[in-house]
Amino acid sequence: MKSKPFAVLLGTSAMAFSAVSFAEPVATEIGLTVDAYHKSDNTALGGRLEGWGLSHTELAVKHPFGEHLMGRMTAVVEVNEAESNFDFEEMYLETRTLPAGLSLRAGRFLSDIGYLNGQHPHTDSFVERPLMYRAFLGGHYYDDGLGAHWVMPTDFYWRLSAEAFRGEELGEFADGPKVGTLAFASKLGGDIGDSQSWQAGVSYLRNRMSLEEDEHDHHHDHDHGHDEHDHAGHSHGAEYAGKHMYLADLVWKWSPRGNNREQQLALSAEYARVTDLNQYASNDDYHEGWYGSAVYRFSPQWSAGVRHGRVDLKLGHGDHFHDSSLEETSLMLAWNPSHTQTLRLQYTEQDAVEDWDDTFADAADNVLTLQYIISFGAHDAHTF
Amino acid sequence: MRIRSDQALAGVLLACVSMPASALDIFACEPEWAALATQLAPDASVASATHVYQDPHYIEARPSLIARLRRADLAVCSGAALEAGWLPALQQRAANPRVRSGQSGLLFAADVVETIDQLDEVPFGAGDVHPEGNPHLQLDPERIRSVAAALSQRLQQADAAGADDYRSRYLRWSLQWQQRLDGWRERAAPLRGKTIVVQHSTFDYLWRWLGVEVIADLEPKPGVPPTPGHLASLVATVEDAKPLAIVHSWYQSSQPAEWLSEHTGVPVLALPSTVAPDQGIDTLDQLFDHLLDQLVQVANEH
Repeated sequence: MKSKPFAVLLGTSAMAFSAVSFAEPVATEIGLTVDAYHKSDNTALGGRLEGWGLSHTELAVKHPFGEHLMGRMTAVVEVNEAESNFDFEEMYLETRTLPAGLSLRAGRFLSDIGYLNGQHPHTDSFVERPLMYRAFLGGHYYDDGLGAHWVMPTDFYWRLSAEAFRGEELGEFADGPKVGTLAFASKLGGDIGDSQSWQAGVSYLRNRMSLEEDEHDHHHDHDHGHDEHDHAGHSHGAEYAGKHMYLADLVWKWSPRGNNREQQLALSAEYARVTDLNQYASNDDYHEGWYGSAVYRFSPQWSAGVRHGRVDLKLGHGDHFHDSSLEETSLMLAWNPSHTQTLRLQYTEQDAVEDWDDTFADAADNVLTLQYIISFGAHDAHTF
Repeated sequence: MRIRSDQALAGVLLACVSMPASALDIFACEPEWAALATQLAPDASVASATHVYQDPHYIEARPSLIARLRRADLAVCSGAALEAGWLPALQQRAANPRVRSGQSGLLFAADVVETIDQLDEVPFGAGDVHPEGNPHLQLDPERIRSVAAALSQRLQQADAAGADDYRSRYLRWSLQWQQRLDGWRERAAPLRGKTIVVQHSTFDYLWRWLGVEVIADLEPKPGVPPTPGHLASLVATVEDAKPLAIVHSWYQSSQPAEWLSEHTGVPVLALPSTVAPDQGIDTLDQLFDHLLDQLVQVANEH
């Protein structure tokens, strides 16, 4: 008797299931993005090396694993006149069927902190990431770990992220616990009328790796000549670390009647503060960095932009710190002959406002970079 | 006390998370599907991600759209890769299992009708063309009817309690649409066999339905904006053929069409590619009325 309603229930749920399941394309998506460049000079705090090279050339594969999981892998090759480098920047599984706007990720992935960090570098408007990203996050921070993302059921956009990583990819640390870094982010966003949209975020990165002062890490081996510098562009490690990193970001975009194909102005700014640099650091000893950028697409195929940024670093020297500050200004002009190609010319100038012990000996005055990006096959839909 | 505060917290959380189950929340990628959904489900809360002044190929996965898709019970989009540049990013970010591709909560119009100009393979450098064919199928009044039938079914699945209402509303709509179709055919008769110059394949379904022939496209390749060289190469052809008009859609700049018009004497005609509520074009039948009015007028002056 008792089993009957159960059977009816099962029967109806099976019917409901057959009524709502549709054939889903399970094809694997494969995309290749080539980023070739020529740069006239090296710049301080990493980025691309001078000469010809391939930067962040990636092979991306996306594949659904059953109904509930999506897998993604991104293999990245970088080749320049000094060396070549191969790495997996992403290799993760993400849930697709959790309720209430929740999704979980496991594996290696880009952390959700900041505005630019979660985006793939080939969609950037400038050749290199801003100074603060290069100094504090090794360009962009990805690592092995677990992440939970939650989009709230609000009228405006509100996304919360919590991530735990091994911490091995953040930099060269002597030692660390199993969970080396923890990252939290909250992002809000929305539209203002037909023509404007915005997003604002705050994030926090807890670095639990060992930050004991080590002469070699912070001295940059300056006794051995600058040509042997490990440029952060391919070392993928943050050069200037602390226990706590706080980030704030703000993006505002405008296009007439929201038709961003024809014209768009995008303003963005980010700020970062890194504290508790080592055991000798007082409350006043922290790294700081920021940038502001304006990019204007004045016709469907052309855009121009300017970006200015600065980092103020405290360089550990035994039990005390020395100040060093670097500014960087970039101008760029980009041409998109089709939606799979970008040709970009960028002029960069660096200014070592304050330099202790030749930390910014690489600071370059007039750097010209020519960049060509082309993608084949499936390429990601661009995020905001 | 301890237990009570926990219960209160759980109650507050539940109140925040749970959605009112009464009205369906419908996300339309394009305004034509929002208009159709409003007619077939007048009680639903319907919003379109785009409007007539936006190029639907190039929409950004903006935060506001993520929030909207997050709440949707049902999403209706053109498909055929029209939204390939933004919908997947919205779906991934919104993490709403109801509107995942392959679920009944996501209807791609191109999946329920046959598209024109499908390709077996896309040669490199062919421009923005897709093997799935032309996605601008909202401009074919016959195909609209098939999409409406499919949308009505999805509404019935998403909100079983209102299934009978959705069904009868669709039947009424379908009868009215049939009458409108007969009227449009009659009015369109003088357009048959005429020629036209276009910018992009936006109105190709309409031209086929009307029997109007496209003799030139201002775009050198699909999706690539007009270039001065390409426009100059069209002057002789357009002068010879004396087409009805040089048509561009409302979201495109009128400059290329006006340049060609100045050099050939053929008039420019700006047409809406979808409904435009701010111009009094609220429904799909008002859209076809408007398009036919405009085209018949230039044909009379031809």
